[in-house]
Amino acid sequence: MNLEILWQDFLGILPIVPQTVALAVIIFLLSILIGTIMALIQEYNVPILKQMVILFKLFLRGTPLIVFIFIMYYSLPSVVNFFTGLLNMNYNAHNIPPAIILIVAVSLTVSSFQAETIRGSFLSVSYGQMEAARSLGYTPFQAFTRIITPQALVEALPEFGSAFLVVMKAISLGFMITVVDIFAQSRLIASSNSYYIEAFVVAALMYWGIAVLVVTLTNKFESRLLSKS
Amino acid sequence: MLNIENLKLSFGEKEVLKGVNLSVDKGDVVTFIGPSGTGKTTILKCINYLVEPHEGRMQMGSISVDFKKINKKETLKLRRNTAMVFQQFNLFKNKTVVENVMDAQIAVQKKSKKEAYNKSMELLDKVGLSDKEKDYPSKLSGGQQQRVSIARALAVEPDIILFDEPTSSLDPELVDEVLKVIESVAKTGVTILLVTHEMDFARKISNKVVFMEKGKVIEEGPPDQIFENSENERTKQFLKKFYSENKEVLEVR
Repeated sequence: MNLEILWQDFLGILPIVPQTVALAVIIFLLSILIGTIMALIQEYNVPILKQMVILFKLFLRGTPLIVFIFIMYYSLPSVVNFFTGLLNMNYNAHNIPPAIILIVAVSLTVSSFQAETIRGSFLSVSYGQMEAARSLGYTPFQAFTRIITPQALVEALPEFGSAFLVVMKAISLGFMITVVDIFAQSRLIASSNSYYIEAFVVAALMYWGIAVLVVTLTNKFESRLLSKS
Repeated sequence: MLNIENLKLSFGEKEVLKGVNLSVDKGDVVTFIGPSGTGKTTILKCINYLVEPHEGRMQMGSISVDFKKINKKETLKLRRNTAMVFQQFNLFKNKTVVENVMDAQIAVQKKSKKEAYNKSMELLDKVGLSDKEKDYPSKLSGGQQQRVSIARALAVEPDIILFDEPTSSLDPELVDEVLKVIESVAKTGVTILLVTHEMDFARKISNKVVFMEKGKVIEEGPPDQIFENSENERTKQFLKKFYSENKEVLEVR
């Protein structure tokens, strides 16, 4: 292994790290948002929507991510065009940047897993907590935000940490639709200088560094929340 | 001040309440006694609509509801005029002792933080727990948790406090501290509805005792009438059985 190349590759890949992390954060937050909505639809037994969510989740959990990314890549622009056409908007969806398509595809897929995590963590809050809030005259929304969610969050936090890492790694599939992340950048560098091992070792180290950071942060946050209950 | 008419509820096939009537005056301390599973707790939870009866009317102060067509606004009104102390305490796990007492004042009554805090500390002082202000409920004994939950109930200044077997899940040596607090609450003149298996306490504290069995009120009256001069066979049987069993327990000890 060539140390000088290693260092060069490091400098070459580093600038792409913030972008990759930012992409991961966006997808992660979206997946929690969509996951929460799906969990609520299921918990509150909303007719029709509930059946749709169940089918949708089954489809997403059973489809390889790369397949779903390609489906989105080839169909999302036409779908968007159809809707903008209905609204008489003059927008050509074939110019949608591939990063947006990646965000949509990965967020939806991860949200189907998040929905389960979120549902489980809300179910783990004992019914007595809800009863107590109701008996004091809280509105359902107040009970939800002040009492139930903070407790559910403690349960969900470790799962969220690993979900973030799953997202982080899933983004590397974006290479297939020309989104450049840590992995894609290392591939580009490797093919230009032909030092393959060095490039991928650097990429792996970077993923690993981010993982260490995320795990440390969630652990810290978790123990802080635990000390509060 | 509280009038319940023909309260009916079934869980599936099982009729839990078979048309209960009850009337309570302001300042009354009403105790419900009777075998387990006869609907005593259920009545309490119907009053603040934690359990939803299928039929019946209720008048509470100026609020009047028909349970067949109760709406969300009425439900909130009922809950905001009552408070409940639960068998399992149900303190908010994510909040400290003082926050537990403060939270409803801030969220529901829209008081300022400072105002809520001062009132909460005053109440915690009353139940003897002002030094636990910053602890989380999980750090407290059952008796302490129940005293906090009584302070939490008092904090919203309810017209009626519903005590649902407040000592049933406590270790025997912790029962007394909670009963003492309940007694002091009763002396403030607030209306109390209490479900308990502590017969001696019921007799001492209440001015009205309701004996229930199988979803029906069998007999009601002042404690002396129920405990000493009951004319009703079922009441007599229940009390006799209760006291003889307790005597056995005492003898074994």
